[in-house]
Amino acid sequence: MGYETLSLACVLAPLVGFAVALVGFRTRHNVAAAIATVSGGISVAAAAMLLVQMPHAVVEARWFTIGQTPIEFGILLDGKTIIMGGVVALITFLIQLYSVWYMKTDPGKGRFFAFLAFFEWSMLAFVFASSLLQTFIFWELVGLASFLLIGFWYEKPSAVAAAKKAFLMTRIGDVGLFIGLILLFRATNTLDLTQILGIFAPEGAPASIAPDRVELIALLLFVGVIGKSAQFPLHTWLPDAMEGPTPVSALLHSATMVAAGVFLVARLHPLFLDAPATMNLIVAVATFTALLSSTMAMVARDMKRILAFSSISQLGFMLMGLGAGSLFAGFFHLTTHAFFKALLFMTAGSYIHCAHSNDIVAIGRAGAARKLPVTTFGLLAGGLALAGIPPLAGFFSKEQIIGAMGHYPLFKTGAYVAAFLTAYYTFRMIFLIMRPNVDSAIESEAPHAEEHHAPHETWFLRVPILVLSLLAIGTGFLGGRIGHALGIEHVHEASIGAMAPAIIIALTGVVLAWLDFGRRGARQVGFIASVPAIQKILENRWYIDAVYNATIVRLAVGVARACFTTETRGLDGAADGVAYGTSGAGRIIARSHAGRFQSYVALAGVIVAALTLYIALR
Amino acid sequence: MTVHGWVFFSLMLFALGLYAVLSRRNLIAILIGIELMLNAASINFIAFNRFVADDAAIGRIIVLFIIGLAAAEVAIALSIVLNVYRQRHEIDAEALDELKG
Repeated sequence: MGYETLSLACVLAPLVGFAVALVGFRTRHNVAAAIATVSGGISVAAAAMLLVQMPHAVVEARWFTIGQTPIEFGILLDGKTIIMGGVVALITFLIQLYSVWYMKTDPGKGRFFAFLAFFEWSMLAFVFASSLLQTFIFWELVGLASFLLIGFWYEKPSAVAAAKKAFLMTRIGDVGLFIGLILLFRATNTLDLTQILGIFAPEGAPASIAPDRVELIALLLFVGVIGKSAQFPLHTWLPDAMEGPTPVSALLHSATMVAAGVFLVARLHPLFLDAPATMNLIVAVATFTALLSSTMAMVARDMKRILAFSSISQLGFMLMGLGAGSLFAGFFHLTTHAFFKALLFMTAGSYIHCAHSNDIVAIGRAGAARKLPVTTFGLLAGGLALAGIPPLAGFFSKEQIIGAMGHYPLFKTGAYVAAFLTAYYTFRMIFLIMRPNVDSAIESEAPHAEEHHAPHETWFLRVPILVLSLLAIGTGFLGGRIGHALGIEHVHEASIGAMAPAIIIALTGVVLAWLDFGRRGARQVGFIASVPAIQKILENRWYIDAVYNATIVRLAVGVARACFTTETRGLDGAADGVAYGTSGAGRIIARSHAGRFQSYVALAGVIVAALTLYIALR
Repeated sequence: MTVHGWVFFSLMLFALGLYAVLSRRNLIAILIGIELMLNAASINFIAFNRFVADDAAIGRIIVLFIIGLAAAEVAIALSIVLNVYRQRHEIDAEALDELKG
């Protein structure tokens, strides 16, 4: 089949699946699930064939023309989009399979699968976008899909609040992105991605655009990325996004939504390369975010929350690599992270289902690790990859990033610290789940004694976990091929000497976690707890949410309340006043219509007398 | 007696009639009040006819009309009162508030 058919099938199959499932079979859950999953499967097959063919082409159709500027809708096929599209399609498909198990008895199953397909379609169309307008439209649709899925259990107030928070926080960034795109259009007079990349592709800033304008555009685009990819200071929405069903978290944190921001930077990397000041800022923000969220993950007890913090910090790593100028490092980590983070969230869903608790201590004490062997295998594979232990995927990509940061000694140190903390908190989680110490002082909810119907793993759970485990273990060796697909001839292959610090640091983190949590009789409280003040700060997430609530949220709520009062008291009040005044006056006058003819006669007499007096005295 | 005396007399009679119409609750008493007012008007006409234009007959003719009208009015009004009584077994003016708005 030609690449046109394949790419169209890849992007449009989920859309068809979404429409058919939502319109036709929303209440017939299994049919809807089957349709959405099959559409996901078609997408994967098409993406796989595209990966084999690896065409460089554009499939597009004119949408409309403004003045001299044609606006196209289409599919841009090159190394970046095909690899990313493949990752998106594969992970969504596996998550759909996983959801068959996870959402088995959910009353909204049909809707859920339809939304998953919608999410996949938005993300694929975003990835393959051939013009920046299309990029922006699907960027927003990805946000909408996350909103719908985070708030999927809409009867839960916390889920609704989390969905709203995610939508609003990312919207702040989107304003920056939108302004950036407008400025970019003004500077280049086109929205076509191929042309824009052509303008920025040559070494050095393009002569036609002022350098500070390029900086401004890059900065505004990065504001959008900050919102979408949950970087400081807009990162607070991501941990709350846990309120959605676990498959949603798995999707949102790996291949879609948060990956969109990083992918945008990778997509427009030539533009960013022409904006050195913004690149420095990206590295700084990314390093700071990675450190910040790693520290928060060190004390969290909610498994999904730990993974959310680690997503934020890994996104920071990706942006560090991209900001340091290495497209390959950032993109590679985006790919590997997608696999192992989706995997870790699947294991989290499995454990939580078994132990009926999000708390890693409770999961450990419920003995979930032994009851669910495949899940535990997945946890180990994903955890080792996340911690950056060779030879798993995370090690290679993280090593590439650290290797790319040679020009930034300070931030490189930061990256090492973040990598150390990542290894520590990952193994804290693993040890607490796999080696629970029932005698340790920390308290947790009592494990639920539901032994008689302990959930057993089905193949819908095992297959996705095993496939992703394989990818988490093996993707690291595909670095050269990915680099080749991105058009990078010589992927920087580090020597053992250069790799040594990263290995040592990751292993130190693991050993420290072993001492704190893993070894027999460990107190399982972590070294942070010896300084209660820091522990408290970290548990409260550096009080960033508290500060936002006390300032911005309160301000916004105040303004909203003032508007509400103006609306209800002022505008409605005026309208109501006229109505009530009229009817009130009517009621008072009606009182004189008592039906007593004698009073009417009296009134007539008075009037006649008054008239007479008036005539007589005139 | 001069014209002033008669006009004052008729004024008093009219006032008494009006007072009866406004204050009495019995419909019959109200009708009596109306008769008083009509008679006051008649006396006014006669007095002015007698003292201002004695040779003209217009005042006396109007008074004859008033007497006729009064008879007709009383006949109709009494029949209304009778019907009211038949329907409601009372002739209290306060109770008749169907005109209430």
